[in-house]
Amino acid sequence: MNLAWKEIKKNKVRFIILGSIIFLVSFLTFIISGLANGLSQDNAALIKDLPKGQFYMADDADGTFNLSRIDNDLQQKVMTKEKDAVAFSIQMGFLNDRDDKQQSVAFVTSTESTLFKNVHQGEVLLDSSLQDKGIQVGDTLTNNQYSGEFIVKGFVEQKKYSHAPVAYISEEAYHEMYRVNNKQLIYVPNKEPKEFKGLQAYSNKEFLNTIPSYSAEQLSLNMIIWFLVVISGMLFAIFFYMMNVQKIGLYGILKAIGLKTSKLFKMIWTQMAIITVISLFVSVSLSQLFNLVAPKGMPFTLTIATTTQLSIVFLIIGFIGATLSGIQIKKIEPLQAIQQGEA
Amino acid sequence: MTLFTIDEVRKTFKNGEVEEEILKGINLSLKEGEITALVGASGSGKSTLLTIAAGLQPATYGQVLFEEQNLMTMSTEQVRKLRASKFGFVFQFAHLVPFLTVEEQLLLMLEVADSSLKKHEQKHEVNRLLQLVGMAHRMTAYPSSLSGGEKQRVAIARAIIHQPKVLFADEPTASLDSQRSKEIMLLLRELTKTLNITTLMVTHDEEMLAYADRIIKMSDGVVLPSAMY
Ligand SMILES: Nc1ncnc2c1ncn2[C@@H]1O[C@H](COP(=O)(O)OP(=O)(O)OP(=O)(O)O)[C@@H](O)[C@H]1O
Ligand SMILES: [Mg+2]
Repeated sequence: MNLAWKEIKKNKVRFIILGSIIFLVSFLTFIISGLANGLSQDNAALIKDLPKGQFYMADDADGTFNLSRIDNDLQQKVMTKEKDAVAFSIQMGFLNDRDDKQQSVAFVTSTESTLFKNVHQGEVLLDSSLQDKGIQVGDTLTNNQYSGEFIVKGFVEQKKYSHAPVAYISEEAYHEMYRVNNKQLIYVPNKEPKEFKGLQAYSNKEFLNTIPSYSAEQLSLNMIIWFLVVISGMLFAIFFYMMNVQKIGLYGILKAIGLKTSKLFKMIWTQMAIITVISLFVSVSLSQLFNLVAPKGMPFTLTIATTTQLSIVFLIIGFIGATLSGIQIKKIEPLQAIQQGEA
Repeated sequence: MTLFTIDEVRKTFKNGEVEEEILKGINLSLKEGEITALVGASGSGKSTLLTIAAGLQPATYGQVLFEEQNLMTMSTEQVRKLRASKFGFVFQFAHLVPFLTVEEQLLLMLEVADSSLKKHEQKHEVNRLLQLVGMAHRMTAYPSSLSGGEKQRVAIARAIIHQPKVLFADEPTASLDSQRSKEIMLLLRELTKTLNITTLMVTHDEEMLAYADRIIKMSDGVVLPSAMY
């Protein structure tokens, strides 16, 4: 007999309350993690969206790519060895539009590659967020350190660095503006690290963590997420415990008439699974919906992968919570229940 | 025929530092098809004796023999199986499962007892038992909608549906008025006789003794010799 389902059907309100709690905490966790992800996207989409590979910077830069200058000969050497390699540089700066309004951007230039955008001298390719600020294809933009003008050639989706939209410019323009002939970084996609004299290799993750604002921001956001997970875990456990305490009499009677303890465990596990799966289904759907309708200015990115990961964590937590309160049941003596009053 | 023997059973409880002997060497044998009534002052140890006999708690000393097996030396799982298949219980309160219908209460008991009956045979049996206790018309009702007497009748049906050898009843009529009590006692008596069950029943109610085949009086942890009552 499916006791678990029979009880849920009879005591709908009680289980709906428990389900709502699971829904609320998981929904909150999904939203916060969507924001964390959104912020991290906003901070480093340019880097994050690259496939797994290796970043090389000059070893005397000591992990600060802004200080890195890769010797041209060395760059040449690496690039002939690794034919997918791309050398690039990033610098924060400003672009002025027709009305002399300043837009903060991250200038990016690279050698020829499909992973970065290459433009001709005098052209610029911008992140689409600038389009929302009124800049259009064909507009001319200027920069104090650049003698010429940039003509907006087009827009790209989701290319951000350090919370600023990326502006892809030509190597020549970059060299003029920052008075360097060298690139800061070489990126080799889909490869294991190799030894190059004078260069230090970083994986994608290691490289992201060398960006100070990025690692600090992510650390605090991840902290919040895991706190939420822990707190919701405790909430689950406490609620399940309270629910089971109320049912001690019932469990005692079932034990007295000879029901196996393992059947009782199966009953609470099944209930936990039913409630958690339904609640998670609702909160996953709603958070994905929010992902679609979130206002443009709000950095919010919630991937199915992240949601699935967190959902699995919640399921495990629920299982542990149910098991912990189940241990309580194991200890129940049938006698206790019989000597208590009406059931 | 003797089916159940309680032999020199003692039980001590620890109350903090003090050990108190509640049962002081009880000897008792129960016969098939008989109702044995256990009476005595409150606190004399009746319920303790009944629950030890039923395998719901261990004795400190002594033996409880059922079909020549000693409950005291069995594993918890063996005792559970025995309870599930050979024993039936009725208590002062019906202790029904609140989220199951009357019919489901009995079906659950059959399941717990590992009944070999097929699905439709089980349903048939449930119907028969409910008719016997006069509750067939409330088959789909939940316990919350039954009166105390009705609940108790369902509890009795649940206690015997798996055809137990022994029925343990601890003040089965205490929560009922005297009219209902008599009905329940008549029912218990009839079932004991027709199904040849061995029944051990604790009661406070003098009136109920009329339905018993044998009366055992307890006082302060011992059974009084029959000459004294
Ligand atoms: N688990 C226990 N721990 C300590 N003392 C207990 C325990 N169970 C019973 N007792 C004590 O044993 C004595 C006998 O209890 P029992 O319940 O067997 O009495 P009873 O004859 O059934 O009384 P009543 O007629 O009131 O139901 C009481 O003094 C009670 O306090
Ligand atoms: Mg008692």
